[in-house]
Amino acid sequence: MQIGLGLWLFAVALGTSMLGGVLGMASGIFIVPVLTMFGRIDMHTAVGASLVSVIACSCASAAPFLKGLTNVRLAILLETATTSGALCGVFLAGWIPTQYLFLLFALILLLSAQQMLARRKDKDDASSVQRLPLGMTLMYGAGLISALLGIGSGVLKIPALDTALRLPIKVSSATSNFMIGVTAAASAAAYFARGEIVTSVAAPVALGSVVGAALGARILINVPAQRLRLMFSVILVILAAQMLLAAFGINPFGPRS
Amino acid sequence: MKAETATSGQLEGLLGRLLHYGTLAASGLVALGLALSVASGPLGLGIAAAGIALFILLPALRVTVMLGFFLRAGDYRYSAIAALVLLIISFSFFIGTR
Repeated sequence: MQIGLGLWLFAVALGTSMLGGVLGMASGIFIVPVLTMFGRIDMHTAVGASLVSVIACSCASAAPFLKGLTNVRLAILLETATTSGALCGVFLAGWIPTQYLFLLFALILLLSAQQMLARRKDKDDASSVQRLPLGMTLMYGAGLISALLGIGSGVLKIPALDTALRLPIKVSSATSNFMIGVTAAASAAAYFARGEIVTSVAAPVALGSVVGAALGARILINVPAQRLRLMFSVILVILAAQMLLAAFGINPFGPRS
Repeated sequence: MKAETATSGQLEGLLGRLLHYGTLAASGLVALGLALSVASGPLGLGIAAAGIALFILLPALRVTVMLGFFLRAGDYRYSAIAALVLLIISFSFFIGTR
């Protein structure tokens, strides 16, 4: 394999996972745009590598949250919906033209930017699990998007847990992170069996993600959270604009030399 | 972990350890494989691929542990739910091989 490409992939995964860890979001949403836009890596290969990274991050960070925050019973119940969605996504992934995937990705990036700026507030009646059918429907959608785009879909899981099921913020973040691994595994299993997970791309990305997530959890950054959120929203909007351009066949960054 | 919350806390502790050591093992395989691939090529990539497979398998193992725990606790409702999730993941792998 090419050592240069491997190191670049490792560095990208390390950087995005570290920053993602600081903000409490998965790095998948950054990995696919960076690999396809800057690395000129094929969309399906990027999605496969990103799914492995998403699983790695979810597993690596699960243990501390399991001591009291993660609702494992609710997680396994909702996972029936997320894995069903992922299974449908696996079927659809081969059919949908790449430019539509770019378009969908741009939409999800904008949604994430909006969510990052909006403050999450605990509901007053955050006591019991409510509106389960709405929650399950959102989870199905989250699984579908996760399989198509190679992201953890925290952007859809968190509103489902916060708003539809009215869980406290910390519980919904921990439960979402816990569920992301199983959701991504449901689609990654099919990608792996199809031979669509390219080891020379996925291995450095997975390793970089684990190291990055571990570092991100330890490093304290001296930037006010609000400014960091604003900065990240701007990055998400820029990536969304690039994905939109790519959907129409324009890539401002030339082919990788 | 408090003793009085043993039944529920036990499961969470078990899952936490599984995911922690599983991540270490899978990352170790991937790192070893990548290091070897720089030196010798194909063998290294094979080991790295095994590490990736272990990563993908970890969440399925986590669901299997949950299934076993619920069965032992006599909680058949949640056993069925865990079995369904496991079935969906297996089915996904199966359609990928075809």
